[in-house]
Amino acid sequence: MSSVRALAGDRPAGPSQEAGPLLEVRGLSKHYGGTQALDGVDLTLQRGQVQALVGANGAGKSTLVKVLAGLERADAGSVLVDGAPATIDSPQDATALGLSFIHQELHLVPKFTAVQNMALGYGQGSRLGFLDRRAVRARAVEVMGRLQADFPLDREVERLTVSERWMVSLGRSLMRDARLIAMDEPTASFTDAEVHRLFALIHELAAQQVGVLYISHRLDEVIDIADEITVLRNGRLVGSWGRGHIDRDRLTTEIVGAEVEKLTAMPATTATGHDVVLTLRGVERPPRVRGVDLELRRGEILGIAGLVGSGRTELARVVFGADRPTAGTMQLGGAAYAPKGPHEAIRRGVALVPEERRSQGLLLQESIVFNISMATLDRNRSSRHPLLSPRKARTAARDAVERLRITSHSVAQSTGDLSGGNQQKVVVGRYLRTAPSVLILDEPTVGVDVGARGEIYRIIKGLAEAGTGVLMISSDFDELAICGRVAVMREGRVTHVIDAAHATKEHLTQLCYSLEGTG
Amino acid sequence: MTETTQATSRPSTTPPDPVGPASRRLDPWRFLGRYGALIVLLVLVVAVSIAAPDTFPTRSNLVNVLNQSALTAVIAMGLTFPLVAGEFDLSVGYTASLCGVIAAELLVHGYPLALAFAVAMVAGAFVGLVNGLVVTRLGVNALVATLGVGTIVVGMNYLIASGLPVTVPDPTTFINLTLGKALGLPYPIYVMAGTGVLLWVLLNRTVSGQSMQAVGGNAVAARLSGIRVDRVRVLVFVVAGTAAAVTGVLLASRTGSASVNGADGYLLSAFAACFFGSAVLRDGQFHIIGTLVGVVTVSVGFNAIALIGLGVYYQYLFQGLLLILGVGVSTVARRRAVG
Repeated sequence: MSSVRALAGDRPAGPSQEAGPLLEVRGLSKHYGGTQALDGVDLTLQRGQVQALVGANGAGKSTLVKVLAGLERADAGSVLVDGAPATIDSPQDATALGLSFIHQELHLVPKFTAVQNMALGYGQGSRLGFLDRRAVRARAVEVMGRLQADFPLDREVERLTVSERWMVSLGRSLMRDARLIAMDEPTASFTDAEVHRLFALIHELAAQQVGVLYISHRLDEVIDIADEITVLRNGRLVGSWGRGHIDRDRLTTEIVGAEVEKLTAMPATTATGHDVVLTLRGVERPPRVRGVDLELRRGEILGIAGLVGSGRTELARVVFGADRPTAGTMQLGGAAYAPKGPHEAIRRGVALVPEERRSQGLLLQESIVFNISMATLDRNRSSRHPLLSPRKARTAARDAVERLRITSHSVAQSTGDLSGGNQQKVVVGRYLRTAPSVLILDEPTVGVDVGARGEIYRIIKGLAEAGTGVLMISSDFDELAICGRVAVMREGRVTHVIDAAHATKEHLTQLCYSLEGTG
Repeated sequence: MTETTQATSRPSTTPPDPVGPASRRLDPWRFLGRYGALIVLLVLVVAVSIAAPDTFPTRSNLVNVLNQSALTAVIAMGLTFPLVAGEFDLSVGYTASLCGVIAAELLVHGYPLALAFAVAMVAGAFVGLVNGLVVTRLGVNALVATLGVGTIVVGMNYLIASGLPVTVPDPTTFINLTLGKALGLPYPIYVMAGTGVLLWVLLNRTVSGQSMQAVGGNAVAARLSGIRVDRVRVLVFVVAGTAAAVTGVLLASRTGSASVNGADGYLLSAFAACFFGSAVLRDGQFHIIGTLVGVVTVSVGFNAIALIGLGVYYQYLFQGLLLILGVGVSTVARRRAVG
């Protein structure tokens, strides 16, 4: 990315540069039901500034973004663009003001090509509503050229990689002459190289006087990219710090509002707990799982590292009986194990906390009680009684809420209203009630804030200490520090199992990419 | 850009209490979403009581309204099960007709009433089983599957009855099934109440019923929670088919004669009741009590239209309007409440 060309495009000379800051938010408040999501938040974003917005889940970041995007209306407070009060009642209003939003879910149409996606809704209000397709295409090609996109623009979005899709979304924003781009967790599934590339792009955007609102849980990246870091907690502004004025530890403390306990590794359980609880021999399920050998011991936390697509999730599904292996054998507690489905896996004492908590884990409309009980309905009745006891279900939910420190109004609250971390704890609570001897967690802390993350680690460690064998799939190498051993998966096989004590981030990265580490 | 003053001016020592009293505050929209449908029923009852004070708010008319609700209520409560599990069943009306014909046919051939009723229920359950297997084993969309099975049911019905009404020669005991009374109440009211209690318990107090709700809420999550989703899906169709059979037999017993398409019309009223009921007390979820309220609301409306002396076509206007208003208002209210 050598040439700093006009990324933001040939916009007509907009509102004068000497007007107020690009964006100013004053005393913004918003409540949902009884929850104060935003409480008098102030924020200022200058042209060409990269401002990071960080905070735990439920801190108010998403609400703030929704208000700016015209998806929600604030109860109080004002938004100023170029120093002039702005009314943002709809996404169209936001677009007209030059505010653009790249949400985590990207909102692209999978079957449409990159160009078609970029053209969606572009030039609305043009004569008779007809699009000049050639002009739109030319514009899209031009924008993507400036982004140095190196993938075919006529490829369907569903065939693009995650970062390429993200580029399409960015291109879409730039086509609409965005002056402020808010990005929600852009790097969530990026590789390191892609992150570097994104950062270069952000710098160029800033150089072109575009303001960037960067929302992320990845604090190292935030510290790296942001000119200013703003922290929200419980809907309130905690403070803003300029580049170099805050370090990772301090930032974490500000986000959580308390000191965070440092991650400490479980001792690798090689010495004593030698009984193996789960054995995999040549387990296959093409195309993703291609012959896995693995042993999980009682009371150990075994991490599974690997790149996206290395077969980790697919392996977990096979062990849990959600998919059937095509070859290989499994043993559980010394006995043959070939579950016909998750129901049998759960009965045998294997549980899986799935990767996608909203789509695979929760019933968002249902209460905490219902969600906790789902996998253990039988335990809500006494053996002699055919009918379920709501009291037993409630008691179980209350126990889980207490044990896992789930924050909620009551156990009757819908899980859809909970923050990401609390939702994850509900799913964990459901599977803990199955009393598993093997617990598999697939990316247990994705989208979970720092505080809740620490608590989830505490729960996992507690389980292992009580003798449960834990398999933890994670792309967060820092997180793998709580494991005793780490298995590295690559192209459907476990290629290495290493002691976590020797598993530095660099070493693991090398192993994942199969660059045989010498260190 | 150094540390700003907000850091100190907004003390972080008083975090908003997430469990504070504000959370108990009553949201008017949420209230409307939950209780709007019940309010409609209440307003209707009060209004008709004022408009027709001599005929409407009487014991005999109340019994009459409940009696007229009974047949629709039974089939609608059965239909609630596929809807709870996120499925559809378009065959219930045809199944009810078939089961009425089967019962009547058996009575014609001199079999005892109890046996005829039981066989009809088994037949209804069997149709449900076929529906469920087509949906789960063949993976056919429930709308298409039940439309297909329902059409086959119509064909079988014509095959059995040759297209003619099946009239029971000595219908006294058969007719007594719907006209008979105990403690001053017609039998169908007891059937409605009994079915209601049974199905409520099945849905809310058994592993199967809770599994149905789980499957309807999120089938993937349900499967990963160890729920055998396909079994649950088959079961909901069986419940719907069995309930349809009861309605079909009772309908035939009203006149002592079963016509091949007599109960077909129950499909739409059952669906209307279920959807109206989904706006009762819950946020758009199907449930037994809601369905009952839906059926009774429609009956009260029909009853009022008759008592006031309006034309029959007003019934259709009323039912259509009620459905759209009930579901529409609660949908809007829910959107407002959640924000």
